[in-house]
Amino acid sequence: MNDLITLLILLALGYVFGQIAEKRHYKSIIKRERILRKLPVIAAKFPPAYRIPPNSFLVMGSVVISVDYFKRFIASLRNIIGGRVTSYELLIDRARREAILRMKEQAQQLGGTMVFNVKLETASISKGRKQTIGSVEVLAYGTALVKH
Amino acid sequence: MERHWLNIENTPLEYSNPEIPEGINTTPVHPLKEFIVLAGGVLLLIAVAAIILILLAEFIALRIPFEVEQELVRPYEERLQSDKQYRNIEDYLNQLAGKLARVQDLPENMRIQVHYADNASVNAMATLAGHIFIFRGLLEKLPNENALAMVLAHEVAHIKLRHPIMGLGKGVVIGLAASTVAGLSGRTMAGNVLGEAGLLTILNFTREQEHDADMAALEALYKHYGHIAGAKDLFIVFQRLPESKQTGPEFLMSHPQLEERMAHINALAKERGWSSNATTTPLPALITNILDN
Repeated sequence: MNDLITLLILLALGYVFGQIAEKRHYKSIIKRERILRKLPVIAAKFPPAYRIPPNSFLVMGSVVISVDYFKRFIASLRNIIGGRVTSYELLIDRARREAILRMKEQAQQLGGTMVFNVKLETASISKGRKQTIGSVEVLAYGTALVKH
Repeated sequence: MERHWLNIENTPLEYSNPEIPEGINTTPVHPLKEFIVLAGGVLLLIAVAAIILILLAEFIALRIPFEVEQELVRPYEERLQSDKQYRNIEDYLNQLAGKLARVQDLPENMRIQVHYADNASVNAMATLAGHIFIFRGLLEKLPNENALAMVLAHEVAHIKLRHPIMGLGKGVVIGLAASTVAGLSGRTMAGNVLGEAGLLTILNFTREQEHDADMAALEALYKHYGHIAGAKDLFIVFQRLPESKQTGPEFLMSHPQLEERMAHINALAKERGWSSNATTTPLPALITNILDN
């Protein structure tokens, strides 16, 4: 019974704070994406051909987001039944977009005109450890071109 | 929308930056809806699985010979022996239980052993291998031998109907299933709670079993005394118990609501024409004396 009460409290806390954090984060992501939209970010391996070779820098953005208890609980139920883990989809979506934004922000600070060869990597922080709240890291990196 | 011309590997590419609509990489489901569907579905699955397991366990338990039950309990039997000073009470209780077992046609190999427990709880219980426990708290409240006989006959009926071994079978199967689920789900909180949901389904005896025991006890009571005044007196005792005690003790917890039980008893008595207004047999001085001390 005590377990059940603890669980319900954790679920409620996870839900309330998780939802607030998610809403806020998406608001910020959408706003910043709009601002940085004019900076092209492409996945092509090679840069465009320039008559005057530009400078290039490695730019990267990484973010670590923790899953809340509520999402984790839903995901563990999903593990039993199978299907889309919708609660994690949102989490990873936020992390990817945030990482790309941070990378773009870095490129902009360096005066970059575009970022090419963009790659994303995902790592879970608490790999293999049970009973811990899992966090996910997403790293976005690419090569920024800065014209002379 | 801004447009850029990129020349990549000698291939001209147009790059534009449209605003990408939200919700491409996510599924628009309200998290609470998802939660209710998932938790409800999983709980339903567990309930169905538990019911199937319980039915199977009971089916098998009924086929376990009583001797195996006795063998199971043998290592603990020494601990069941009570104080010498209560031998007299237990002899008397065993005699009475013996008579009630005979009128219930208890099979020869089922030996009933009644134990007296010097404890204030208003309780009595039947357990494996024919062991019955009567607590001082209950004995003190009984007005006469007939009411005591109703209690004993009820517990004897549980043993005759093999309810304790069915309960054990249920417990083992559910416990096993729960720990398997908890193990499979990686001992997460969800696993623990799933396990507990399984445990919640086990009560000592089911309402149905209590009902069957009541009916068998009533018949035994009638066969032994020629009337069922004891049943009426016993339920009067239960009714007078404060609310807290009505739900607290084990004897009552898994039992159907008192009114419902009484209604069933009255219905059976009416159908068979069994009277509950008759002179009762008092408890022997041996019992009342010890209780008074």
